[in-house]
Amino acid sequence: MAVAVAGRRRGGVRASEARAGVVFVLPYLVFFLVMQAGALLLAFWFSLHRYDLLALENPFRGLANYTRLPENEDFKIALSNTAYYAVVVTILQTAFALVMAVLLDARIRGRGFFRSTWYTPSIASTVVISMIFLWIYHPTGLLNSVLSLLGTPVQHNWLQDTRTALPALMGLNVWTTAPTFMIVFLAGLQDIPRSIYEAAEVDGAGPMRRFFSITIPLLRPIIFLVVALGIIGTFQVFDQISIMTQGGPLKSTLTVAYLIYQNVFRDEGQVGVACAMAFALGVIIYILTMLSRRYLDAKIDY
Amino acid sequence: MAQATLARPAASDTTERVERLQTTFRYILYVVVTVFLFTPFLMTVLSSFKTSAEVIAYPPTILPSEWHPENYVQVFIANPNFFRQVFNGLVVTLLLVGLNLFFCSLVAYAFARLEFPGRNVLFAIMLGTMVIPSWVTLVPKYVLIQNLGLINTFGALLVQSYITPFGIFLMAQFFRSVPRELEEAAIVDGLGWFGVFWKIVLPVARPALLALGILAFKDHWNSYFDWLIYMQTPEMFNIQLGLAAFRGVYQNQWDLIMAGSVIAILPILILYVLGQRYFVRGVATTGLK
Repeated sequence: MAVAVAGRRRGGVRASEARAGVVFVLPYLVFFLVMQAGALLLAFWFSLHRYDLLALENPFRGLANYTRLPENEDFKIALSNTAYYAVVVTILQTAFALVMAVLLDARIRGRGFFRSTWYTPSIASTVVISMIFLWIYHPTGLLNSVLSLLGTPVQHNWLQDTRTALPALMGLNVWTTAPTFMIVFLAGLQDIPRSIYEAAEVDGAGPMRRFFSITIPLLRPIIFLVVALGIIGTFQVFDQISIMTQGGPLKSTLTVAYLIYQNVFRDEGQVGVACAMAFALGVIIYILTMLSRRYLDAKIDY
Repeated sequence: MAQATLARPAASDTTERVERLQTTFRYILYVVVTVFLFTPFLMTVLSSFKTSAEVIAYPPTILPSEWHPENYVQVFIANPNFFRQVFNGLVVTLLLVGLNLFFCSLVAYAFARLEFPGRNVLFAIMLGTMVIPSWVTLVPKYVLIQNLGLINTFGALLVQSYITPFGIFLMAQFFRSVPRELEEAAIVDGLGWFGVFWKIVLPVARPALLALGILAFKDHWNSYFDWLIYMQTPEMFNIQLGLAAFRGVYQNQWDLIMAGSVIAILPILILYVLGQRYFVRGVATTGLK
């Protein structure tokens, strides 16, 4: 349509339109060339060097920063923690978000109220959420209080135990992000014509059958979107780690993002290695996103 | 999925009883989810009026045994930079919201409406960049901002966040849905392209601008990472970083940590209550936070 309209205009208008287009898009072009493309190339260049923000000489190392990653003990720990974290959180937040969206899609009284309150965890900052969960996971905090009410009195220090620290952070993450994706699913659900459900009901399909045979297949593109965004987000998890555990206890919550941060801004200032880790992380995220696309965003056959 | 069950007229007494039971069961489920998601906030507000010892008392209390509203004064005394940090956050947030609204809609208008060479390629590239982890570009951005002499200044935050691909995408989606007739007439009137954008298109885009403005306000006010990286002295922190730093030093001041958390979330909560549908629209149309 754009071409047809443009074709009807006089040539002078078209030239001025192209000029205006280029000028208007300049703010993004500058941003792209400096903050995205330029930064990406520079990061790659850093990753080929033994680069230190304070050192005078930064010798070329070729791909050594990459090839040595598999021998880097911290990186191995961080990658395995991150993968564990990402898989659990992505699956749980997608499942919870979907179920919550289906519940809210029903015609019930008080729907607006439930939607408003359910979405609240998504508007708070990671700092505030971290403060609240530091208290929830405190030895005499909310979680242990609830557990004792349920008959198992414990004073467990969730964030100081290597077995529970990472799962505790996963819980925090699911609690905050599930409501965000709930809204995405809700928008998708509202696009599914009611008539399909009604037809299925006439054919005798129960609620479970309708959910698995209609809702899930028709939502597949949205499920892919949510899973992809989940992968991108969870593989970069940083804020909660930096505020609540600093990678501890005993590196049990050390993630790749936190390790990169440590390498650049904390102790060693090993920028080259950090950039190599960041690229490795980027490649992993890209591959996983593409894989999930293959399995989830495939054409639907009826 | 179950709404049809509710709407169906009762065939007999038994099915009616079954349905009433189902409805009750479903409402219990809704209440459980609500309690699960909302209790932490409620308890945070209540805790902010307790003494530090009572916040972590075992067995716990729900309502404060004594109300201590002075916690909200104490938080500004215990952290002398707290007021400054609230102010910093507000100033930078408002500046960035303004910059985002202007630049994102200007660029989005070009992408959605103006024919220029390379348009579609650049738009596709922009969508692609949304997948790049911020960790990859972190170091070069830091080096650049350091060389510009912007470390520990608001400039560090403005130069890297004045525009966002997400905002451009959101506005472009909206502009594509606006009928062209409006602009055609204005072009004939000789308004010029910027005039068309500023006087004709932007006023029509109010709902989209509100959605972007509210989401941008939330993101910039809640921002922690950028401030952690680029700000070095407490008087340059925002409230998020200030709160995290405060907790790092005063681990046992639970009353003040809770009061600070309430202050940090308050502006967003007010905005959410006032502009809820814009929050939801922005998230729903793009699938991004």
